[in-house]
Amino acid sequence: MGVRPKKAALGLLTLMLVSSIVAAGCSSNNNNGNSSPSSSSPDSQSPGDSSTASSSTETKVEPFTISLFTAATGPIPTDDNLIYQEIKEQLGVTLKEEYLVGDIEQKLGVMIAGGDYPDLITANTKLTGAKAVIPLEDLIEQHAPNIKKHFEKVWNQLKDPEDGHIYWMPNYGVYQGEFMSTDYYGPAFYIQKAVLKEFGYPKFKTLDEYFKLIEDYAAKYPEIDGQKTIGFTALAFDWRDWGLRNPPQHLAGHPNDGGVLVDPATNVATLYSANDVSKPYYKKLNEVNAKGLLDKEAFAQNYDQFLAKISSGRVLGMFDQRWNFGQGHDSLVSQGKFDRTYVGFPLVYDTNVTDYYLDRPPINLGNGFGITVNAKDPVKIIKFIDTLLSEKWQKRMNWGQEGIDYLVGDDGLFYRTPEMRKQQEDVTWKQKHRAESLWGYMPKLEGRYPDGNAEGAGNQPEEFFANLKDIDKEVLTAYGHKVWTEFFTSPPENRVSYPAWNIDLIEGSAAKVANQKMKDLDFKYLPKAILSKPENFDSVWDDYAKEMGKVDTQAYLDRVNDQLKWRVDNWTSK
Amino acid sequence: MPQQVVHKAEPSSQPARRTEPYWRKMFRQRQLILMSLPMVIYVVIFAYGPIWGWMMAFQQYKPGFSIFDQKWVGFDQFRFLLMDEGFTRVLRNTIAMSVISLVLGFVTAIGLALLLNEIKKTGIKRIIQTISYLPHFLSWIIVTGLVSMSLSTEGGIVNIVLVKLHLIDEPIVWLSEGKYFWGIVGATNVWKEVGWNTIIYLAAIASVDPSLYEAAEMDGAGRYRKIWNVTLPGIRPVIVILLILNIGWILNGGGFEIQYFLGNGQVLDYSETIDIFVLKYGLRIGNYSLGVAAGIFKTVVSIILLYCANLIAKRLGEERLV
Amino acid sequence: MQTTLRRRFKSEPFVFHSFNYLFMLFVAVVTLYPFLNTLAVSFNAGLDTTRGGIYVWPREWTFKNYDAVFQDGRVFHAFWVSVARTVVGTVFGVFLTAMLAYTISRREFMYRKFVTVIFVLTMYFSAGLIPSYFLIKDLHLLNTFLVYILFPGAGAGLISAFNMLVVRTYIHTLPESLVESAKIDGGSDFRVFVSVILPLCAPVLATIALFTAVGQWNTWFDTFIFASSRENLSTLQYELIRLLSSTVNSNANPNISSTAAKDTATMITPLSIRAAITMVASVPILLVYPFLQRHFVAGLQLGSVKE
Repeated sequence: MGVRPKKAALGLLTLMLVSSIVAAGCSSNNNNGNSSPSSSSPDSQSPGDSSTASSSTETKVEPFTISLFTAATGPIPTDDNLIYQEIKEQLGVTLKEEYLVGDIEQKLGVMIAGGDYPDLITANTKLTGAKAVIPLEDLIEQHAPNIKKHFEKVWNQLKDPEDGHIYWMPNYGVYQGEFMSTDYYGPAFYIQKAVLKEFGYPKFKTLDEYFKLIEDYAAKYPEIDGQKTIGFTALAFDWRDWGLRNPPQHLAGHPNDGGVLVDPATNVATLYSANDVSKPYYKKLNEVNAKGLLDKEAFAQNYDQFLAKISSGRVLGMFDQRWNFGQGHDSLVSQGKFDRTYVGFPLVYDTNVTDYYLDRPPINLGNGFGITVNAKDPVKIIKFIDTLLSEKWQKRMNWGQEGIDYLVGDDGLFYRTPEMRKQQEDVTWKQKHRAESLWGYMPKLEGRYPDGNAEGAGNQPEEFFANLKDIDKEVLTAYGHKVWTEFFTSPPENRVSYPAWNIDLIEGSAAKVANQKMKDLDFKYLPKAILSKPENFDSVWDDYAKEMGKVDTQAYLDRVNDQLKWRVDNWTSK
Repeated sequence: MPQQVVHKAEPSSQPARRTEPYWRKMFRQRQLILMSLPMVIYVVIFAYGPIWGWMMAFQQYKPGFSIFDQKWVGFDQFRFLLMDEGFTRVLRNTIAMSVISLVLGFVTAIGLALLLNEIKKTGIKRIIQTISYLPHFLSWIIVTGLVSMSLSTEGGIVNIVLVKLHLIDEPIVWLSEGKYFWGIVGATNVWKEVGWNTIIYLAAIASVDPSLYEAAEMDGAGRYRKIWNVTLPGIRPVIVILLILNIGWILNGGGFEIQYFLGNGQVLDYSETIDIFVLKYGLRIGNYSLGVAAGIFKTVVSIILLYCANLIAKRLGEERLV
Repeated sequence: MQTTLRRRFKSEPFVFHSFNYLFMLFVAVVTLYPFLNTLAVSFNAGLDTTRGGIYVWPREWTFKNYDAVFQDGRVFHAFWVSVARTVVGTVFGVFLTAMLAYTISRREFMYRKFVTVIFVLTMYFSAGLIPSYFLIKDLHLLNTFLVYILFPGAGAGLISAFNMLVVRTYIHTLPESLVESAKIDGGSDFRVFVSVILPLCAPVLATIALFTAVGQWNTWFDTFIFASSRENLSTLQYELIRLLSSTVNSNANPNISSTAAKDTATMITPLSIRAAITMVASVPILLVYPFLQRHFVAGLQLGSVKE
């Protein structure tokens, strides 16, 4: 005892930071990069690459340093990283990066208190509140044609709700032309391909049909690879709460708006938690549990245990977002258990309801970089970012280097050899050859380049088809689809106020307190209701509804509605 | 056989010193003063200097503005914390887990130290000692991960063993039932820290005068007598001091990460401690002031408890803080 | 004394020893397991670990996890910074803590209570991060090595009140006559401390040296808050935590992980990298204890000094 004094409270870990990106949407994206000039040419008069408007910054190299702070999102580059070297040689910019390692609240807290900002900083509402960043609109208008063009369509959305200035350049969600997607990474009711195959690839839309398939399969195969079959599981661990909390909104035909349903006509939000919108789903889970199909420890498991179950191939179905169980999927693939991988289905309460799981990626507001008040030469910085947004640098960062990361086919399309794909798996290789952390936060081109190539390897259709396994082809053919996203109804244009989940509830406000209380109650009562005996379900549910009634949910709704209205008023000009 | 002379006697020349003028006494003790003064200055600057930050507890602190430009809210933060309808539950959990961890921690660490001391083969003793403190170096996320795994119904060792022994009929989902949670926290704390906590007792045992054992032996004392009459009294001052110090930490809930990683919605009524509450309703939603208010509350309680514990120790004639 | 020991050993009941050894075996197995498990995970392929079922032996051997840790040359520099702060912090910390403990062990010391109380209280409050940051900034200690030695949070700091009390309690168990007689011989307090108390305190000093060293070694928080913008001050723990968060984040960010999944399978998982990091971070400091252990028996000689 006693040998550890008060240090415990300090070790909050990075988990809390992660909660700030509370996943909801999954705007898909890319990574690599590519460019032609060899890194050995120190002089940078390489105007060989046309396509970009901003050659001005590239012609003269005056060395200067940009310091930046990011919440790191990828392998940390080594000192001899190739991309950083090229940036230095060709653009004259030395990047001095600092990555977040602990809790972002603490780090920003002291940064703000001391006013010690780097030049570029990761987006955070605290920083806007503290006037730590400068308005960008004039800078962009005057010095950054690429950025201007990139954000033109969403210009108004970038504006801060409080004062109408643009402080952040979002990193994802702006598409060139029609967005295209082959793979699906969002929320859905997932089911094993083996189950579909067993029953001849049935078509289904409702919970009843879905759980019937699972029930029948589990009855037929009580064990998979020697272990007990698990019918259905869902994860509710820490900030990964959607497995428990989000299904009702999708079942009711709404897109992912976080904790509310928004009427697309009026843009008014209502709650779905603890009322008749969500009750049927949990009631159904209660029945499923009574049949012994629900994973008993679903709501007590941690993320690693959840992944381990998925990887074992004995979980028939779950509600989740595809990226969240990516490791499980990869593990199944590496074990050769292809038929144990999953397909997502957009279930709805009622067949009259149109599913709205797949959405058009919204602009990733409140993310990316901003320029701080400490930056000595904001013009240079914005020009630098502008240059990186050119097609040449985008390909360099996203695809990589020609000959090393990809080859160009006769048709002008880029592709990777299996060895190239393999080498992308190697973290140590990435540390030297890629700049994912930087890339992750910079504004980027998404969709297709003018030459027809996708933004990055991940979205190149040819790459997608080359990677399909036999069972995948079989499933796709059976359902008459080409790609996974076709399992979902093609989404309409986004509602102007979409999505509600990225509304800033304001630090320390009653709305935030209410939001946290609602989450606590969901975590406490939903598992209780689901796992109770069927005859007790209603009484547990009543307790839940009663407790929810005590929470100041109105404060939460008011803030959300207020912001939705603001968006309608200010964003509609597009 | 009495224990060592524990310096209860004050120096004999005491009466004379009482009347001694203050400055002369200071001069005479100048060496002691010089030996401690720099450290006192250090601690005043580094530990007490920043205490003005406590003003934040009475504000709605917003970063980016000077502490004097903040909105003052009086005792609102304290009210939010202490008047929350769940607060008594949170307090109960905190104290319960602290006490359980404290008692288990003391008993197991002292017990292990005593048993280790009975091993006469130095090599084995050292090896066991070294092994037993290894878990201290693992992070909580690893340890709690292993705990979750061991308690799982899907091949967790605990359920397997208990079922094999017919102590339970079917696997129990340990982490989904509130009634087990405190025990799990206590046991996990022991697992991780018992070896580490033993170190201090082993050092204390090492200082027990061997002649006391010999004397006890001559009086015909057996092993248990010797432990009871020689070893335990020998390390009693250390035990008492650690006990007092730990009583002051009673609002720390026996850890923070442990509840953070092992807790889940189903056991929320038993797992939520003050620190977790502050994390959720303070730090995480951008209310810094709540954490400061909670810190002040904990400090006040700690000091009261320390004072009482110290007083009791004094009455009982035990080693004490002051 | 030898003979007594031997005599005692012979008369030991066999049953007690058997049980004791069995119990120790149990303790060893139970406490060794988590460490072995982490070791095994650190040598097992990340994706394979996701499946679970790794106990004490890797299923799919790999050095990839360690490659990722050592890829970056900064880790080596950071290692030496950690060693430096641990050595300097421990030497100063132990000496000063012991000296302070001596002063408050003197019953006649007029400020004994004051000094004790002022240090004890530091264990029970925290002034908060932001004011501390201002202090360090105002003292111009930001991005200096000195902050590692001086900043009293998160397990480091020049004086640990806890350790101070441990030493004081230990000094109390020493015979008062030792100090008295040394003083009669004309020894000043400082001399008594250095030549009488320090040597006698070997076991407890070894203990607090261990505590201090482990605290210094394990801390990354002060680097994070006070020294993160100077790369050559980066400590091992900080570099490792940084690596860990980059892995955790890239697996937790929907944008990045969907990309990664599309593009490639992630081979380095947070679970496996954490295991490798734990090994790299803890093995060096683990070696300190066996080295200090011999001091724990130093107390045996105490008997001869007494009287």
